Amino acid sequence: MARSKKMRAVLSALALSVGLLCACSAVSTPVTTQKHRVALVVKSTETEFWKSAFAGAKAAATEYNLELSIRGPETEEDYKTQNEMIGQAVEDGAEALAFSAIDYENNVPAIEAAAQAGLKLVAIDSGVASDKISTYIGTDNYAAGKMAASAALQSGESQICVGLVNYDANSANGQEREKGVREILEQLDNVEIVQAMNVFSIAENARIRTEAMLKQHPEINVIIAFNEPTSVGAARAVRDLGLEEDVWLVGFDSNVETVDLLQSGVVDVLIVQNPYAMGYLGVESAYKLLAGQTDEVESTVDTATVLVTRENMFTPDCQKALFSFAGW
Amino acid sequence: MKRWRSRGRGMSMTSILVLMVVCIVAVALTGCMILFISRYQRAMEQSAKTSSEQAVEQVASVVGSYTRDMNQAMAMLVEALEEEEDPDAFFDNFLKIRPDVVAVTRYDSQGELLDCWALDRQPREHILENLSFDKRLLESGQESSISAPHVESIFEGYYPWVVTMTQKIDGEDGESWLALDLSFSNISSYINNVGIGQHGYCFLTDTGSSIVYHPQQQLLYSGIKNESAEEQLASRDGNYTQEDMICSVKDIEGSSWRVVGVSYVDELVTANVAVMIQIALTIVAAVLLVTAVSSLILSGVLSRPLHSLSNEMEKFEQNAAEYTYHPVKGAREVGALSDAFGHMVVKIQDLMAKVREEEINLRKTELKALQAQINPHFLYNTLDSIAWMCEQERSADAVQMVHALATLFRISISKGHELIPISKEIEHAKSYLQIQKYRYKNQFSYTFNVDPACEEFYCNKITLQPIIENAIYHGLDLMVEEGRIDVTVRQDGENIVFTVEDNGVGMSQEQVAHMLHREPGDRTGIGIKNVNDRLRIYFGEGYGLKITSELDEGTCVEIRMPKVKRGEYGEK
Repeated sequence: MARSKKMRAVLSALALSVGLLCACSAVSTPVTTQKHRVALVVKSTETEFWKSAFAGAKAAATEYNLELSIRGPETEEDYKTQNEMIGQAVEDGAEALAFSAIDYENNVPAIEAAAQAGLKLVAIDSGVASDKISTYIGTDNYAAGKMAASAALQSGESQICVGLVNYDANSANGQEREKGVREILEQLDNVEIVQAMNVFSIAENARIRTEAMLKQHPEINVIIAFNEPTSVGAARAVRDLGLEEDVWLVGFDSNVETVDLLQSGVVDVLIVQNPYAMGYLGVESAYKLLAGQTDEVESTVDTATVLVTRENMFTPDCQKALFSFAGW
Repeated sequence: MKRWRSRGRGMSMTSILVLMVVCIVAVALTGCMILFISRYQRAMEQSAKTSSEQAVEQVASVVGSYTRDMNQAMAMLVEALEEEEDPDAFFDNFLKIRPDVVAVTRYDSQGELLDCWALDRQPREHILENLSFDKRLLESGQESSISAPHVESIFEGYYPWVVTMTQKIDGEDGESWLALDLSFSNISSYINNVGIGQHGYCFLTDTGSSIVYHPQQQLLYSGIKNESAEEQLASRDGNYTQEDMICSVKDIEGSSWRVVGVSYVDELVTANVAVMIQIALTIVAAVLLVTAVSSLILSGVLSRPLHSLSNEMEKFEQNAAEYTYHPVKGAREVGALSDAFGHMVVKIQDLMAKVREEEINLRKTELKALQAQINPHFLYNTLDSIAWMCEQERSADAVQMVHALATLFRISISKGHELIPISKEIEHAKSYLQIQKYRYKNQFSYTFNVDPACEEFYCNKITLQPIIENAIYHGLDLMVEEGRIDVTVRQDGENIVFTVEDNGVGMSQEQVAHMLHREPGDRTGIGIKNVNDRLRIYFGEGYGLKITSELDEGTCVEIRMPKVKRGEYGEK
């Protein structure tokens, strides 16, 4: 009896101290997490759009102490190389992948394989047909398309003949934008989509094809180009043909060249996306998925788009959207 | 039961001692720790504020010297513009050594661009909007100003972010304005590297509360982040605590800019305090452990002798008579207690012996009195029987009777000894039965079955006779058919068991129960109760009589006593 009391006292004292010590050690175990490895695989490494996205991704990698690798094929049509790059990222031991799919369908096997290998997947800018994606971060492309269509209607022409210069027909975001554009334009009687073409996402190719289109269909008075290289190419074509007065050009994204041509009247409207935010938020979401903060990752994040015209391009907000501060 | 309750009532001394010491130590330590940690936290907060303030002051002085530098450069350029023979060459040289100056522009009194100096760059022919010169300056009457950050908009294909310093020149050919577009390259790397704590940072604002330079400017511009310290931008110099942030604001002397430092209470204070709390808790735990263990040991040292003393007492309580005391070692007080207990044990044992002796004496006296009381009656009857035998000339029977009577009396007296050999007791019982058989005219028969090994042991005298007497008077006397009495003596382990069995009328259970408590009446001699009492006094509770009886079947009395050898149980 007395012995058991004593034992109980001893045990409770020990339990108390052990408990305290455990509590202490639990608190004191430092967060010695090794650097997480995040891979960013995008459509291209050359355009200003993607350079800005890289800057954002790097900023997030620095902020969250991540090891970031960036890969992208030379052309925005080369989904095979992109698939290889995804495989490479998996081989290099990446734990999370932020990527922008060139091909909505053909990128699926590589993505599924990456998911199989346990990678957390974040889609930025352009999605892919897989349910293994934790979150999509980018422009609401359908809404951006509608925005572009509305901008096209501002041309002031009574009869509107539209030429669409889109890029890869398998790319999700381009198709979404075109869908948005058609949704608006096809309802209207005074609007006719004269030609819709898919060009390589290279400025020179876009220029040649746009020039050909304009020569073939001189009635075209509105052109909508759907990304940075096509916008640059279309703008060059309009400039070279001296049609800046006759053709209302709506482009996407900010490029030094299109900004220059916006001032000189060749380009009339730019729908400016927020690639820096895509890069930053893509890597941030990858980090959150790795850190287990899954609750904080929403399934879609709409990065804002800004409509820039000659009139508003130097307002503070448009300056911020158009001109990157990164690099300073 | 009672013992258990008295033990269960309180906690053991060990637990009380350990609990008390641990509690006191815990309370004292906790108090100290709370005091210490609160002091520490205050000190950490103070130091966090101080370090934030120092960082901001550093930045303010660096940026201040930069703006002073730029003001001097501006003055130099104004002077050069008026006095140099070849201002273009001077400006080119200036731009070469100051790469952070993107462009120098001059405007007339209407705000029209007169000159533009920029290395290898020419302004566009049609400038859509010149952000480097704010025409509102013309009316404001200000001599100089610094603009908010903007994009350089006068070149083709080149759009860096700049701030513009503007200075009015009152020259010979009327007033004009000189503007310097400054990129942030000179101050950015400095500001970017200012850290307050792990995640703290500094940024520049102007008096209009718009951000001039921020290490995460692009994040702000992309709308991903908002500067949460914006609330403090309009504040005056000093420290402000806002939720979990510490903001330090400092104006830059001779400039419209100010520096805001943001640091996080979490990492500067809370993290340190958390570490401190861990250390404190570890110390508390260690001290408590040591305290608990040492007080356990201490209380063990103190209470062990008390435990053994209490165990000794328990033993004594259970068997006081045969208890021998072994002194307990321990502290002086315990030693005294132990000695006192030892004395008490001796005293109590003495008293117990005395009481027992007195009891035995009392019974002896009683026995003698009873013997004296019944013997004459029995004697007269027996003598009557003998006399009658003589009259009938049954001299042989008479002789036997006289012999039996003599034996009976000899053994009854046994020289005053209380304990006699069992053989003698048997002889006594036989003599008695012989006499009674004559007297009852052979109405009953009897047998003796004695284990010879038992005969050498001793027993109380006149143990069997009262029981046999009882069997005859109460069991057989009332019977019509012939009675029988069987006496056996056998060993049972360390005991001797006598049984007296009759086939008489028997008794009910109540009568049996009553039997051992009845005082002797006139007919019965030394009562059965007396026999039982004597045995118990002599040998203890486990010994004495056991009566089993059934009506019309008979009675069996079992007498149990230990094997007593000659000289044991001081038979006086």
